[in-house]
Amino acid sequence: MKKPWKIALMPIGVVLALAGGLVFAQMRSGSYGSMNAVGIGQGAAPELAPDAKYDVGPYPSFTPELAEGDGKLEVQSFCFTCHSTRYITMQPPLPGATWEAEVNKMMKVYGAPIPEATAKKITTYLQGHYAPENRKE
Amino acid sequence: MEQMAHNLSRRNALKLLGTAGGGLALASWAHGSRVVAQGPDGAKALESFTGPGANPHWNSVGPYVTEPQKAPLILLTDRAVQLETPRHYFRTAFTPNEAFYVRWHLGEIPNAVDLAEWRLRVEGNVNKPAAFSLSELMQKFKPVSVAAVNQCSGNSRSRLQPRVPGGQWGNGAMGNAMWTGVRLRELLDAASVKSGSILVQFEGLDTGAGPKGLGSNRFLKSLDLTNAVLDETIVAYLMNGEPLPMLNGFPARLVVPGYFATYWTKSTSWIRVLEAPDDNFWTKTAYRIPDTPRGTTTPEDVKAGKVKTIPIARMPVRSFLISPDRSSKIPAGMGVTLRGMAFSGYGKVVKVEVSDDGGNTWKAAELGEDHGAYSFRSWQAAWTPKTPGKYSVAVRATDEKGNVQPDEGVWNPGGYLWNKIERQELVAGKAN
Repeated sequence: MKKPWKIALMPIGVVLALAGGLVFAQMRSGSYGSMNAVGIGQGAAPELAPDAKYDVGPYPSFTPELAEGDGKLEVQSFCFTCHSTRYITMQPPLPGATWEAEVNKMMKVYGAPIPEATAKKITTYLQGHYAPENRKE
Repeated sequence: MEQMAHNLSRRNALKLLGTAGGGLALASWAHGSRVVAQGPDGAKALESFTGPGANPHWNSVGPYVTEPQKAPLILLTDRAVQLETPRHYFRTAFTPNEAFYVRWHLGEIPNAVDLAEWRLRVEGNVNKPAAFSLSELMQKFKPVSVAAVNQCSGNSRSRLQPRVPGGQWGNGAMGNAMWTGVRLRELLDAASVKSGSILVQFEGLDTGAGPKGLGSNRFLKSLDLTNAVLDETIVAYLMNGEPLPMLNGFPARLVVPGYFATYWTKSTSWIRVLEAPDDNFWTKTAYRIPDTPRGTTTPEDVKAGKVKTIPIARMPVRSFLISPDRSSKIPAGMGVTLRGMAFSGYGKVVKVEVSDDGGNTWKAAELGEDHGAYSFRSWQAAWTPKTPGKYSVAVRATDEKGNVQPDEGVWNPGGYLWNKIERQELVAGKAN
């Protein structure tokens, strides 16, 4: 014989289950990424002395990975003298003629002391990895 | 320099990285993995470069980085330092100093300034060469303030088709600040300019590794002594009521209201009066625009040698929608506020109009407080997306000279003067 209070509770259980389903349909919660993401660390407040020197410390370097290939070392050596190689990766893919003009500008306008053969190698590297038809990263 | 040029192996590069700030994020970069800020729907990372098509994003696509005295900003390059201001900082008419974009030309920029030694020199073709300490600048001259937009000549360069080399800025190479300092004319008067002088040249503390006499060694800019913009030009030692961040030109920088930022020399330390034309690279050769309406031309005309050029000067009228920014949906039927700002180098913005059908029909927006002719003018407009769907919201400004923002882009080899009407897709979702 069924206990009357159990029968009385059955509809309540059904209602709760339905309500649970409804709640579940109207929102989703408790979802966090599984990857352990790393934020940018905060800097501590600097030491400040009341003298006339205003010093902000070194500016950080954010050196990009350049495409692997013949000429990479020359690019890193010569271009890096005046500017970081992020000047290369920041550009859109540029046609071969534009890269050639850029290397020429560095030498003729800005006076970069790059030997002719090295300049050719640098140009070929840039054309081979940072042009519309071949740029990957 | 020779040493630097050779044998920069990966190991050395990593050592360099190790000594820099923000170690954790950097270390993960060096090994190729990228930590990505996620959107509400687990949005994917932005592409690492755009092109050969136009950059479709509001900002450029570089990662956020932190530099001294700065909030996380978008990296273009680290040496010389070029950082872009993220879109959301333009919700207010004044851009916070820590978010203000950064653009240097040469690699050797000041990390420290000793104010016991530093002087602002006024020299050249003058009767009484002068050298002012910062305290003299603050005390001997009446401080004047001006709200003025500083915008890089190449702001939005990544919009051009075909793309041109240079800093691939999105729209964030601009900012507005309340600048306070000394009138340039008073400094020139104090040094007593000799008759026969034609130009005034400016130089800051930055230098480059290139050979002497070339643009890779010094950054110099000149303006005609008769140019009326000099009457409004100041040497500012306050930016939004605070000292300038080192990266924005501490201890003092030139403020040339209405003009592109190339003239706003940072850490200005030499004001030189010239009696002969200035033939240095940055004045004579660089920062020139085609002498055509809107400074636009074509690659073919450039190649054919048909293009006569003039120095860049005032900023054409522009306007922007800042929020909403399409980072999330808007429930259909909800009345939201469109917010943004506008400016012109030719005078006060007098009208801003918005369209939610891509520019077919326009409605006037409400203008915010007037901070002067050269400031950002904020605007807002009530907007209700009536039905779910995608909307193309466009915004265009008109200045007091009657210049209306055009719906055509420009092209020139420097990637300057972009001011085409901006469009932003907004998405309305169902509300029941």
